[in-house]
Order: sequence, then C-alpha cells, then structure tokens
Amino acid sequence: MEHILKATGLKKYYGKGETTVKALDGVNLEIEQGTFTAIIGTSGSGKSTLLHMLGGLDTPTEGSVTIGDTELAGLDSEQATVFRRRQIGFIFQNYNLVPVLTVWENIVFPLSLDGRKPEKEFIMQAVTLLGLENKLDSLPGQLSGGQQQRTAIARALASKPSIILADEPTGNLDSKTGNDVIRLLKMTGEKFRQTIVMITHNPEIARLADRIVRIEDGRIVSDEFPDTL
Amino acid sequence: MDIITIHNLKKYFGTGSRQVKALDGISLSIEKGKFTAIIGASGSGKTTLMNTVGGLYRPTEGEVFVDGIRLAELSEEQLTIFRRRKVGYIFQDYNLIPELTVRENILFPLMLDNSRPDEIFFREITGLLRLDGKLSQFPYMLSGGGQQCAAIARAMITKPSILLADEPTGSLDAKTSQNVAGLLKTTAEAFHQTLLMITHNTELAQLADRVIKLQDGHIIL
Amino acid sequence: MEISLKTLAARSFRTYKIRNLAAVLAIMLTAILFTAVTTIGMGTMESLTLTQQMAKGSKADGDFRYMTAEQFGQLENAGFIESYGLRMPVGFLTNTARHNIEFDVMDETQAKLTFCNPGYGTVPQAENEVVISDAAMLDLGIEPEIRAVVPAEFSVRGKTYVLEFVVSGWYKASSGQGSIMWTGTAFRDAHPDIFRYTYPADASPAGTYFSDFTAVSPRGLEDKMKAWAYSVGGNPEDVNASDYLGTAVNQVTNAPIAPKTMAMGIVIVALFILCGYLLIYNIFDIAVMQEIRRFGLYRTIGMSRKQVRKLMNLQASWLSCAGIPLGLAAGFFIGKATLPVVMGTLSSEYANLAVNVSPSPVIFFGASFLTALTVFLSTRKPIRAAAGTPPIEAFRYAEAASGSRRAKRRSAEGGLPQMAWSNLGRSKRRSFFIMVSLMLCIVLLNSVGIAAVSMDTEKQVNFVIRTDFAVVNIASANGLAGFTRREQGLKEETIHDISGRPGIKNGSLVYKNTLDDKNVTYDFGVRIAETQNRPEEDKVIGMTEDGFFFNLGSDGRPLSNVYGMSADSISRMDIREGETDAGKLYRRMQAGEGVLMGIPINRSTMHMIEPLRFAEVGDTVTVYKNGEAVMELPILAAAAINGDDMEIGYTVNGTFEVGGDGLYLYLPYEIYRKLYDRPAVYKYSFDAEADTRDDITEFLETYMHTSDPSVTYMSAENARKNAESSRTMVAFVGGLIGAIFGIAGILNLINTIVTAIITRRHEFATMQSIGMTKKQLARMLTYEGICYAAGACILGLPVSAVLGFTVVRSLTESLWYFSFHFTLVPAVIVCAALLLAGACIPSAALRLFHKGSIVEKLRIAE
Repeated sequence: MEHILKATGLKKYYGKGETTVKALDGVNLEIEQGTFTAIIGTSGSGKSTLLHMLGGLDTPTEGSVTIGDTELAGLDSEQATVFRRRQIGFIFQNYNLVPVLTVWENIVFPLSLDGRKPEKEFIMQAVTLLGLENKLDSLPGQLSGGQQQRTAIARALASKPSIILADEPTGNLDSKTGNDVIRLLKMTGEKFRQTIVMITHNPEIARLADRIVRIEDGRIVSDEFPDTL
Repeated sequence: MDIITIHNLKKYFGTGSRQVKALDGISLSIEKGKFTAIIGASGSGKTTLMNTVGGLYRPTEGEVFVDGIRLAELSEEQLTIFRRRKVGYIFQDYNLIPELTVRENILFPLMLDNSRPDEIFFREITGLLRLDGKLSQFPYMLSGGGQQCAAIARAMITKPSILLADEPTGSLDAKTSQNVAGLLKTTAEAFHQTLLMITHNTELAQLADRVIKLQDGHIIL
Repeated sequence: MEISLKTLAARSFRTYKIRNLAAVLAIMLTAILFTAVTTIGMGTMESLTLTQQMAKGSKADGDFRYMTAEQFGQLENAGFIESYGLRMPVGFLTNTARHNIEFDVMDETQAKLTFCNPGYGTVPQAENEVVISDAAMLDLGIEPEIRAVVPAEFSVRGKTYVLEFVVSGWYKASSGQGSIMWTGTAFRDAHPDIFRYTYPADASPAGTYFSDFTAVSPRGLEDKMKAWAYSVGGNPEDVNASDYLGTAVNQVTNAPIAPKTMAMGIVIVALFILCGYLLIYNIFDIAVMQEIRRFGLYRTIGMSRKQVRKLMNLQASWLSCAGIPLGLAAGFFIGKATLPVVMGTLSSEYANLAVNVSPSPVIFFGASFLTALTVFLSTRKPIRAAAGTPPIEAFRYAEAASGSRRAKRRSAEGGLPQMAWSNLGRSKRRSFFIMVSLMLCIVLLNSVGIAAVSMDTEKQVNFVIRTDFAVVNIASANGLAGFTRREQGLKEETIHDISGRPGIKNGSLVYKNTLDDKNVTYDFGVRIAETQNRPEEDKVIGMTEDGFFFNLGSDGRPLSNVYGMSADSISRMDIREGETDAGKLYRRMQAGEGVLMGIPINRSTMHMIEPLRFAEVGDTVTVYKNGEAVMELPILAAAAINGDDMEIGYTVNGTFEVGGDGLYLYLPYEIYRKLYDRPAVYKYSFDAEADTRDDITEFLETYMHTSDPSVTYMSAENARKNAESSRTMVAFVGGLIGAIFGIAGILNLINTIVTAIITRRHEFATMQSIGMTKKQLARMLTYEGICYAAGACILGLPVSAVLGFTVVRSLTESLWYFSFHFTLVPAVIVCAALLLAGACIPSAALRLFHKGSIVEKLRIAE
C-alpha cells in the first residue's frame, strides 16, 4: 500500500537565539493508507504541533508535508482551507460542533461549504454505525459528550477525506465512553478504509491503534506496532 | 456524623418527550471529614448531583440536607450566602479572577463576607499547597497545577462544611494531576474537610475513602 | 492586603480597554446631543429675545412713567427692583430728515437697558454733551465721530429750543427709523424751564420721571408694580387722572414660554434619552454577556446580588465621569458653531438678528443630569441580568444554543444564508433590539421627509403677496411697526422711477387710511360697550362686549381699515359672497352703489373667520366725515382677505394700529379720493415679464439703498425663497435628529457584529479548520449583517406608513402652511443605505478583528 502521508525533516522553531523553543526538531513520518496511527507524548512534547503541521494548519520552519500528491507548503491559506475541506477530516477534543446546526447539518457542513450534495446512503451508513440515527434533528446542546464526539466523527468521515486527524478525541470523555468512541472510530475507519492519525496522552487509548508513535522534545523516540508486541 | 443527607433526590430537566431525568431517585449520606469520589459515564448525573448539593440546582423532588440545613427552605439570596460560607468550589478550569493576585483570589470569598482573614490559617493552607512565593503573582504567571492549587486554597479559606470538586484534574497532564490530587487529599485531611469529588479518572478515584458510581441517574455502587 | 469590591471593580475595569472606550464614546455622544441641542435652543431663544428687545427698544423687565421727583426717589426702596434707570423725556428733534431722534435725559443704567450705551467714547458729563447714534448723525449730515457738533431743534410746551451739543460718545443704531439721543442730569439742572413738572395741567411728559428697571424676580411683576404705584401716591389704572403713574411690564423680556414650545422641548428630550439608551444599553448588555462565566463564578462563590450591582454601578459611574465632561465640552462647541446656521435659516423671517449664546450653568447642569439619567436607565437591565446570573453559568463551556427547532430540516444542509439567519436566533432579544434601533432611524427620517414634502410653499406665497412685486414703506416690512402715518406713504418720485422700468405690467397703486385721517369714520352697526383713552399712543379704543376693539376717530366712531384700489387689484382678490364678478363689482362701486368688505381668512381651513364678520352683505355702512354723514355704502360683496390684502406679508401691526379688529373696506380710487383729503399711497403692486424679473429685483435693491431708503419691496420670488428655507430648516433639523438615530443604530450594529466575531472566534477557527474559507466566513457574516438590516426594513416600512398617515398627518393638518403629502421615498432610501451598511460592516470588522493564524485561535480556547 502506498503512503498517503509523508512528513520529511519537519522542524518548527519559535523565537531566536538563546530563547528558541524547538517544538519540532526534525520529524520524519510516513503513514500508510488505511492505517490507524496514534501519536503519544506528554504535554509540551510537540504532538499538537506535529498534528497542526500534518493538517496544514501551521507552516513548518523547515521540512515538508505531502498528502497524496499534494505538498502542503505550496498552498496559500485559502487553498489550504479548501484542501482541508476535501482531503482532511478533523476531530477535536471539545467536539467543536456548530451550535445552531442540527446533527445532520453539522455532519454535512463541510460538503455544503464545497457546494457538494451529500451521498445520503454513505452518510447514513456512517450514522447508523455510530448510533446516531435517532439524533439527526437534535442540536449539539441536547447531546451528551459522547454523542457529540460521534457526530464529529461522522462529520470527519462525510467528505471521504484522504486522512482523518484526531486531536485528543477522548480528553473530555470518561474512560468507558472514550473507549467506545475510539472503537467506533477504528471500526468506521476499517469499514471505509480511512487513514486515521490520532494524538493522545492516554496510553490505554493509544493501545487501540495499529501503530504507536512516541514523540518527546520534538523528536520521535519510538515507533511500534502493538499487535506485534 | 453525616454532613450530607439526601433522600430520594430527583432532578428532571425539561418536560414531555424531551425530558431528561438527570437524577432519578438518589438517597445517600456522606460522612463528615471523608473524601468521597463520584464516578460515572458522561450523562450519568454526577455533575447534577454535585450541583444540587451545592445549592445550584433545586431538586424536582426529594430532600437535601447539608450540615443540618434543609436546602429547600433557603431563598435564593440565602443560598448565595450558604454557598459563600458553607461550600468551597473547585472547578475543572480553576476559574480564578485574572485581575487579582493569588493572595487576593484566595481571600476573595472572605472579602464578600466582610470577614477578616485568619492569617495563621492562611499561611498553613498556602504552605501545604506549595504556594509560598507565588502569593503576589497573577494567575497567568502560574502553571496549571499552580492555579488549581490556588483555587483549592480559595475553596478552603472560609472553612466550609463541604468541598465540591468538579473534575479538578481534567485540565492537567498526568503527572501534575497526581500531584494536585495528592495535595488536595492531604490538605483536606489536614483540616478535616469533607471532600466530594467528581472524576472519570479511575486512578484518582482510588485515592478516595469511598467511591460512588452513578449511571443514568441512579447509584449503582 | 485586603481586597475590596472597589479594587476588584477597578482592576477588571482596566482589562477591557476597547469596550470601555466604546462606552465612553456612547455616553459622550449622548451628552453631546443634550448639550448641543440645549445650547442651540437656549441660544435661539436668547437671540430672538434680544432681537425683539432691541426692536422694542428695551431689555428691562418693566418700566414706570410720569412719576414725580419724589416718586422717582422712592424707587430706591422698592424691594422688588434690582436696578433702575433715570429717564426724563424732552421730545423729538424737529430738524431731522427721515430718521426720528428722540431726545432724553438719562443715566447710564437707563442707557444700558435701552441699548443706547456708547460703544465709542464716554457718557455725557457736561450739560452740552450728548450720546447719539451713527444713523442719527448721518441724518443730520454729520460724520459719526467723537466731539462732533450736533445741532438740535425741538419744542417743549410750545416753546422752540435751538441748541448745539457735542458728541461725547456714540453707538450703532439698531433701527434705520429712529434712535435716542441722550444727555446727563447736568442738562436737566441747567434748564429748569424745560423740566418743570406740569403734568396734571397739560399731560406734558417733560418734567416727569420715567424709569426702566430690572426686577429681582419676574413673578407677579404687574401686581407688584401697581401696588408700588399706589403706595407712592400714584394712580396706575386711570390714564386720564392727574396723578396717573404708568406701569408697563416688558412682554418681550419676560415672554411666557408657549406650551407648544415646552411640549416640543419635552419630546426632543425624550427622543434623545431614547437614542442614548439604545446605544449605552447595548454596550452594557454585550459586556455582561461576554463575561457571563465570570458573573457565574462570582455568584457561585457567594457574591450577593447587591454586591454584583455595586461592582457594576461603580464601573458605570467611572465611565460617566469620563464621558460626560468630554461630551459637555464637545457639545457646547458644536452647539455654538451650529447656532449661526440655525439662526441663518430662521433669519429670512426676522431682519436684524443679534446672535448670542453664553455658556450658562443651566445648560451644563441640565445636560449632565439628563446624560447621567440616561446612563442610569440604560444600565438597569444589564446590571440586573448580571446580578441575577445563575451560578451554573460558571460551569458551562460552550455557548448553549437557545430555542428549539421546529420542522425537520434534513434537506437544508446548512447553506450559508440559513446559517446566518439561525445565528441571529442565538440571541433573539438582542437581534430584535438591533433591528428596532435601526428601524427608528427609518421611521424618523421618513416622517421628517413627509413633513418637508408637505410644506406648501405656494400656499405660503399666495398668502403673502398676490403679485410678482410690491413696493412699500419700510415700516410695512417690520412686523412690529406697520403703515400708520401719512408721511410713510410712497413718494411720487419713487413711484415714477419704478413704474418706468421695462417689463412692468398691471401696476396698481393702493391707498390706505392712517392715524392722520381721524376725521373719516364709519358706522356699520357695531355696538361700542366701553371706551379707553390712550393719549401716549394717540389712540382712543372702543371695545365691544365680546372683546373686539376698534380704533375710534375724532367723532368717536371706528376708523376702520380702508383701501383705495384699482380695478386690477380688486380683480386679484378672493371675492366669495355677493357680487363676485370683479369687473362688474368695480363699476358698481365707481358708480357709488356700494363697497367691498373684507374678512380675514383662517389660513388652516381657508374659511373666513366668522367672529370677525361684523356686518353682512346687504348691510349698509354709513361714512362720516368731520362728524357729518356724507355717504351710505351698502356692502355689495365680501372677500376673504390675506396678508397682501391687509398690508403685506405677515405684517398685521399697521391695520391693528389704525382700524383695530375691523372693518376692512375696499373702495375704488374715485370714491376714496372723495373721502380722504391728501390720500396716501401705501403700496405699489405690479407684475413683471418673466425675463425682466431679475433686472427689476436688482434695480429695486439698488434703489432702496441709494435713492429712497424709506422704502423696501416684497417679491413673490423672495416669498418663495423664505418658504423654501423654512422647508430646508425642517429637513435640516429633522434630518439631523434622524441621522443621529441612524448613527446610534449603526454603532449598535457594529458593536454587535464585532462582539460576535470576538466571542465566536473559536467557533470560526474550527470552521476554518474543517474547511470554511475566509471568503465563505465573510459571506456568512455579511448575510448576518444584511439580516439585521432587512429585519429593520421589514419593520420600518409599514411603521413609517402607519405613522405617516396618523401622527404626521394630524401634525401637518394643524399647521396652515402644510398640505399633507405622503411619501415613502425617504424610508426606501434609508433602507437601501442600511442594507449597504449591513453588507459592508461584517467584512471590514472581520478584517480588523479576526486576526492571527487558525492555530492561535484554536489554542486560545484550550
């Protein structure tokens, strides 16, 4: 299988001279299509910065990120936004649903930004898998944390992106719900052959992934496949 | 001695088909001076339970007694005073007042009451919570752990009947969480505070004297 | 170190600099409104009062006349008098050409009160020194300068005095018709024969004492004056008594404020309070919303409502302490600068305007109080909301979406316009508030537009003059003077010069009777119930039971207002009853068959004023000359008469002085000349060819300044310009108020949108991460802006229409110079402007406030 994502020599420095903060100090990463990767590290390790680079939300001081055939550095901010809309699905720690839209409307939001009509069948599949069939007309304020995160997952899937990036997706959930959510994520990922990259500080959650990349002080320090352990 | 007594507490939100039964008949007693953890999935009702004990919600049905006071008898203003003097709050995201120094933040509830601070007690608490040397700093200068410790000191300064902590380590990383939780427990014990804490962190819950598990508005453990 | 509520208030206050600035600006704007308008209002009143005082010749509160020396001395003890002057009248100079010079002995106080204090030079000391006006000197053929020699001739009690005086000081005359020349008490002491007290015998004013005075308080002045007169042995009631002591309250100085003016003042104050309220309320409301978590925290840890209120009241008062003084200062200067403009538009009706405004403490206290009141009112609700914040707010993370959704919207797919509309629904109350705030501007401006459009200039012109031009004596153009004396008549030379101009057609002379024609009187059957003698005004008044009065001639019968007209002039009149064919009527009148009677018209209803109908068509009027009946004239017709038929323009004083309330009689030349020896022409009316009008206007302007300064002219063109300028003023003032509301509404809109951008920063960042481009974000917000404006328009258009047909219509129908004319055009224009603003503001605000990379924005929330 090809690599859907390639990051080469990523560096992100803040400041100059003595007070330089090296958030990322030379990261190389290749992700295969259809895999579920967890990036784990303590706070300040650089995992969030890495995720922002991978998602084109921030530009590296050095190095490059390529998703599919596109090199992110070559895009201007508007192009990057459109690229994100079509090729990357985001899941955040605090769900970040639009409060005035219903669950359904939230799920198809990126598509409507693109002016595309949603593939109802496909989306209903995801919705059913995620157990949201009865909640499509509810507003986010009426849902529990777990339900909101599942909606966010559906939203991330809706545009069939090349890659799904999840930033501490279980941070606001209790362990049971968190576990359930990640299992669902993994399952939908496998079903629809999605590539998933998730950052977390929770080792239990990380263990659910196919591959665990550990990052510390801006560098990758280990890269393991737990199934093989 | 039981400092909190709850009889058949029910709290419903909304009406009709959209009604949410956050608490559906809870009865329990909490012993004075003990550390109780309340765990449960999101939506289990733990936050609602704590808020009702703190006088933030009025029960739909049932009775709540805190330190001998029947909460249902209190008017809104009386509840405010009740919270000021009898309850100490610790929030997940600290909720310190950014324009006040650490010391001023800690003494804030006393100021509302026009009470003079007990300097000795103040020094003991801040010492235990490792806040020496930080007292004249502003919240943004402290780390997350430091801020939460300041918040704990604030909660305890009025020597309240109960301390209510809502996911106090939720915004902290693992190492700091452990530190802060340990300090919380130690300090509460040092002053015989009753501590009621909500968490979904099982490690943290294990620090408690007693664990109550909620699910769908009922106690299951 | 302890922390108090005050310190907390101070520290948190400093954190929100931009919001504080907005609040201070809002308070400032409110203060400016109150100050500027109060300044203009008071300035206008002051200037108008001063002008009228100057026209009347005195700014005193009242005056006493015909006192003896002892009585004058008693003024010192009158408790209600603040300061008083000395005046001893001598008489009018007889060696003048056109300018009347009144000669008096005065002191400085009197001179100041009657506007003849020397602006150049000093007050007179020696017995031969005088203070005189520049116009008076020019009339006597002297250069106005100090130490000039003034020849004076006058007579007292039949004896002529010819004296020479030296000018010790002089002043600029305020009127071209007459002024005062005065000297000091040294003159009085040097001429005891002039100042002998002979009043009981010959009612001669020379030798008596007059005094203008300022009172401690204007209340009950008339009674106080009368009581004082009695107390010093004078008789203020009987003008014929030998101990008559005249008392007169100066109506101009202490003019009561018309209830209509009061009402307008109150309405304007209420409007401004509303405007300020809208602005300030919104800012505080948003401020509370932004900090709702903080208030929730305060409430959770136990801050009582009272304590929260105290906190916020402190902050509100600090903001006021900054905003009010700044607003007062700015408002005063704006008011002062705008005052001449306002007066300029008014001055078309008033000549000789003296523009004056002084910084009065009334303005500052009033404006401060009103602004503080507005701040107080505006902050009540937000402060109550803050104080009552449910403590649970401290625990909330995301802003909960309010409201429920009705229908299944699966098909909607959240298109940008629908999202924008839903976003407005997040805070229905605030969105509605913004729309109302904008709507007020639409409604106000449309109402003003209707008023301006409804001003009927032609109706005004038609009342004021019936021909293209009319040449009259200056007195006729002065509302307080009027044509009353033969000598004011137009000179033959003047008429000859003017009538020779090319382009003039249908020229007519109009004759009128004067106070010098007391020998011709009329009996039209009206019963005189009471007679009043007024020697100083040279009048005898007859009153009917109903309170109407007529000036009586030598034989005790009414003088009436009688006009000698040409056939053309008669044909222009509005003859309504009797013989309505003007040509036939004129011929019949020439044959002596009768007379045309005029009844003044009610300008609102365009009907004749019935109470002034003292006779009917068919009744006979008997004409008396020198006490004998010489003619019997049946009334052949009745016409509704306007300003041009009575005198000219809005001047009524001439007819008031001569005939009183009536009768108005119009005769052909032949009959008129039979009755009146030495008939005087008071007006020369004519039309002009269209292409010659400008030339004629220029000619008349030059002529009246160089060749014959005693005349002036009126033209239909000028009348039209005056009417137009009134319309301009209505549009200006109304438009200004409407614009202010518009500004307030737009500021509210800007505030709301900027706040939305700031508080939804995190949400926007999220949307941008998942793929919303900046353009799409801008588009969504632009839709939101348009939604607000559209809501205002949807509310504003029907409300404008309803208000126009009800309130505005009744207002215009009560004022005669309006003819109601509905329009919605101003509302439409304003709506378009608002929609444009609503569309543009969001993109601009986004560019200014939505800065930084997405990552920063996401991080802020975490």
